[in-house]
Amino acid sequence: MKHLKSINRKAARIDRQADVVALQQGPPQQAPAPHFPLGCTLIFSPGWEADRNGGTAGLCTPVERDLFDCHAGCFWPAQVPDQLNHAPDWTAKCASAQKDWRKIDLVFP
Amino acid sequence: MLTGCAISAAVLSLSLLAQQPPPPKETKEPTEKEKEEIDSGIPIASEVVRKACSPCHKIDEKQRMSRISWRRTTPEGWEFTIKRMVELNGLKIEPAEAREVLKYLANNLGLAPEEARAASFEAEKRMIDYKYADKDTNEVCSKCHSMGRVISQRRSKGEWELLVAMHRGYYPLSDFQAFRRGGPPRTEPGPDGRPPDNRHPMDKAIPKLAEDLPLKTPEWSAWSANMRVPKLVGRWTFTGYQPGKGRYYGETVIKPGEKEDEAQTETRYVQVKTGETITRHGRALVYTGFQWRGRSFEGSTDKEGWREVMFLDRNQRELTGRWFTGGYEETGIDVTMARVGSDPMVLGLDRAALQTGGVRTVQIYGANFPADLAAGAIDFGHGVAVKRVVSASPSLVKAEVEVAKDATLGPRDVSVAGVVREGAAMIYDRIDGIKVKPQAGMARVGGINFPKQYQQFEAVAFHNGADGKPDTKDDLNLGPVDVTWSIEEYTATYDDNDKDYVGTLDSNGLFTPNVDGPNVKRRGNANNVGDVWVVATYKTPEGKVLRARAHLLVTMPLYVKFDQPEVSQ
Repeated sequence: MKHLKSINRKAARIDRQADVVALQQGPPQQAPAPHFPLGCTLIFSPGWEADRNGGTAGLCTPVERDLFDCHAGCFWPAQVPDQLNHAPDWTAKCASAQKDWRKIDLVFP
Repeated sequence: MLTGCAISAAVLSLSLLAQQPPPPKETKEPTEKEKEEIDSGIPIASEVVRKACSPCHKIDEKQRMSRISWRRTTPEGWEFTIKRMVELNGLKIEPAEAREVLKYLANNLGLAPEEARAASFEAEKRMIDYKYADKDTNEVCSKCHSMGRVISQRRSKGEWELLVAMHRGYYPLSDFQAFRRGGPPRTEPGPDGRPPDNRHPMDKAIPKLAEDLPLKTPEWSAWSANMRVPKLVGRWTFTGYQPGKGRYYGETVIKPGEKEDEAQTETRYVQVKTGETITRHGRALVYTGFQWRGRSFEGSTDKEGWREVMFLDRNQRELTGRWFTGGYEETGIDVTMARVGSDPMVLGLDRAALQTGGVRTVQIYGANFPADLAAGAIDFGHGVAVKRVVSASPSLVKAEVEVAKDATLGPRDVSVAGVVREGAAMIYDRIDGIKVKPQAGMARVGGINFPKQYQQFEAVAFHNGADGKPDTKDDLNLGPVDVTWSIEEYTATYDDNDKDYVGTLDSNGLFTPNVDGPNVKRRGNANNVGDVWVVATYKTPEGKVLRARAHLLVTMPLYVKFDQPEVSQ
């Protein structure tokens, strides 16, 4: 990069990064096989532990913003207690997860 | 108005339907295949199981119980089911009775050693990369959970179908997420010219599961005939390895428990790196004649203890597995226990490798070493001279060895008093490179509401081997080395500065994630999740600086934990 000069803002941002391995991997369709540790959820978009690139950039964050939707919709049945069967009262102690997230219980089925 | 009419029409037709006599039941003769499947069911001889389960599960004339008799699995698998029955199906059962039901089912509708070993990573809670051979089945199941849960089950075809139906019933979205194909059916022929396979993923997975993981197997037939309560009482050597902490050597004394298949244990082992002695007391159960499930405690203040999952070999001479603890069972020791007889046993050295040139004292751990051990009775092979025995006790020999400058490089067997430990020492001349293990780590934020998942990293030194090239098969693993650790940004998003938020890495390579919950200091109140590089820097004695790195994913907590810790009680 030392012989090139950035002329727009995006190029300047790339310039600031010392290491751009991850940027070279994206966008998703051209990513090499990402590493998903065992037990991690693979494909739902976004993923729970990892996004389609095997990183966290595509995750829903803060997770608390969307948590109750996941619970009510049973979208992540192995990661979030489901309202339909296992934990109908999970959200009883907090009206908004983003505000009252300290009251959320860990559920052991 | 229109809607009101439609509702009344529907109510009317429903009430008409209710008045009609039910259609006569068709009694269909089961086909040959169905008969074969029914016959494969395993009779339930236990009164306790029959009493506990029969309110819902029908018993037939051959003492087979609906659903239960057509499935085999691990103790963890059965406990999953019992818990689900309590939680969702209204089963009322006392803990003592549940333990008895679990024991009967795990012993009589369990897995053979060959079957259980293939799924051992699930019970041992190992974070490994695993891919099931059949891609469709792998995708259908692992979209939500580990394939380990699947491959630790054996079921008849009808049972696999019902299992999928259960998932679809309890988790309606799973149809859309995993079980059914999205989009219109394909019409183009495949690359082989055959018409496209438009079956739904679940319809492809079920026959595959029934074929690969059937109820009836030669392994189970052989094992169930041969199964017995193992006799484990006695002295066992203890060899352990914990990433970040290094090697452990010691001894476990197994005493009889309250019941025939139960055991009490006292384990005393030394952490080689620090010289610290650790004593643990525990108890364990052995399911299906070979599956050790225990829990042991270090002193009276240890309330949680460590869980023990081990497999007993067929000769009843060796137990191998993992002892673990932590919010996500991420901290653990790889353990091997071997029965102590009257012969000497060599467990290993205090280090992985010996450099050529120079004299050094090495420690050899084992059992039954003779008191008058002479230097001549210790052999490292050509080029390594044992100068003298510094000290010798039955379990530890300290010997001074000199490795010649031109000693042949590579793994060496070490023999003491005529007993050999294969590949116990690696002879090397220089360190060519280092690698960080694991290459891809994972931690979960926690500490406020949910537990933290830690990640231990290790830097391992390598010699390039005979070909002089790195990353080839003949590379020599020289064991862990002390390095300087640091975290660097893995740039997946511009300026998210993950490394400032995700957590800290200590001087021993242990990563401690930051707290859970939104962080007001981050853009968009993001959680403290992120991707970073974990970098190890090593300075060789010659002054060369070696560097290696691994990817670390710091991610979300789990809000539900399907774990089965009670199998060890």
